[in-house]
Amino acid sequence: MLSNFLSNYRSVAGLIFVVLAVALVELFEVRASVYPSLLPFFEWLKYSSWIGYLGITFGSVYATVQAVHLISMAIIGGTVLVTDLRLLGVLLKDIPSETITKGTHQCFKYSLSVAIATGIFCAAGVADKVYYMPVFWIKMLALLVGSCFMFFIKQPLLNSRSHSEIDPWILRILAVASITIWFTVAATGRWIGFS
Amino acid sequence: MNNSKWDDKTIAAASSSVIILGALLYYWVGEVQSTVELLELAYGSFKFFNNPMIF
Amino acid sequence: MLVSGYYSWNWLEATHVLTLMISIGSLFIIDFRMLGWVLPGVSATAIADRLHKPMIIGFVIMFITGLLLVYAKPVENVQSLWFRIKMILLVLAFINAWVFNSRMRAADGTWDSARVAPKGLRTGAIISLSLWCGVVAMGRFIPYDWVDCPKVSNTALLWASGCVEQLNAL
Repeated sequence: MLSNFLSNYRSVAGLIFVVLAVALVELFEVRASVYPSLLPFFEWLKYSSWIGYLGITFGSVYATVQAVHLISMAIIGGTVLVTDLRLLGVLLKDIPSETITKGTHQCFKYSLSVAIATGIFCAAGVADKVYYMPVFWIKMLALLVGSCFMFFIKQPLLNSRSHSEIDPWILRILAVASITIWFTVAATGRWIGFS
Repeated sequence: MNNSKWDDKTIAAASSSVIILGALLYYWVGEVQSTVELLELAYGSFKFFNNPMIF
Repeated sequence: MLVSGYYSWNWLEATHVLTLMISIGSLFIIDFRMLGWVLPGVSATAIADRLHKPMIIGFVIMFITGLLLVYAKPVENVQSLWFRIKMILLVLAFINAWVFNSRMRAADGTWDSARVAPKGLRTGAIISLSLWCGVVAMGRFIPYDWVDCPKVSNTALLWASGCVEQLNAL
């Protein structure tokens, strides 16, 4: 029966596993024990790695990479807003939402890759500072959750069938969750800049 | 509601969206609350502009 | 007042930066469609028309918050070389957008469902992308003090940045 459940409900099983894993991690305070062991990596990133060296030594390079990070964030925002506002029935109502979803996904993937790559460079330049910032870890968590949500939950559902076969409220809640999580990634990222 | 619509991907999408939205709302409401508390601590009242203390 | 409020400057700047996603996000989608990089099967003029409103709303918010940011720190911004270049690039970007729009309306609709737009519109899209990337980059450089007035001795740079005190002292 379990193997039947696992084969027919793979996504749900995966979600249950993740929720249980998070609950266990919080219950046994795994975070508190892992956190100090990350400090040497962050210090290596800033003081010993070449990306940290480039970022600290050449302020203009760091600022340019930050600008690229901002631009890729704008493109992510554009693709997410266009897709999700279409799912909510606000924009581009005369174009099928399946077309919008499929047509923007490639652009989203490329801009997310650029954002992550430039983000690593930016974080490396101030690695010893961001390690101690709770808002940085919130951003990383939001980024991880947002990416997994997009690639393992949202896209598979939206690509699996015509959107008219999906309950409209499911589409709406997917869109709102997607907009909120990516807004959180952007806002916490801005907040890091103020800290 | 037609039960055949509630397959694996749909259930996973609905539940994960609810969990994510709930967690984010909890986080943002908490942030607004702590911002208001900080402003009241700094200025004695919740004021955004024309505050007597200058930082 | 804007700077001395405990959080007001931060909120203003954060709104200015985050609204990028609406304004520049929509604009980039329109430009990418012209180049065939996104939504290739969809009518290009339909995308340009439908995304026009959110783009304008985004730009209005950017303009208002940008104006307030300059009002809050007038000297630092006006005497910043990067700010001045940003304003020039903004004007050029708006001129390019106006030319692009006129060309799009003048062109006949036969290219509309093609994967890429005609050469003139593609050129306009590439110029638009470059100018707006420049605007964002210059905006990012404003807080840095590499070419701030007290640090510069080159007369041309002092003139370009409008450093009147240092120019008069020379």
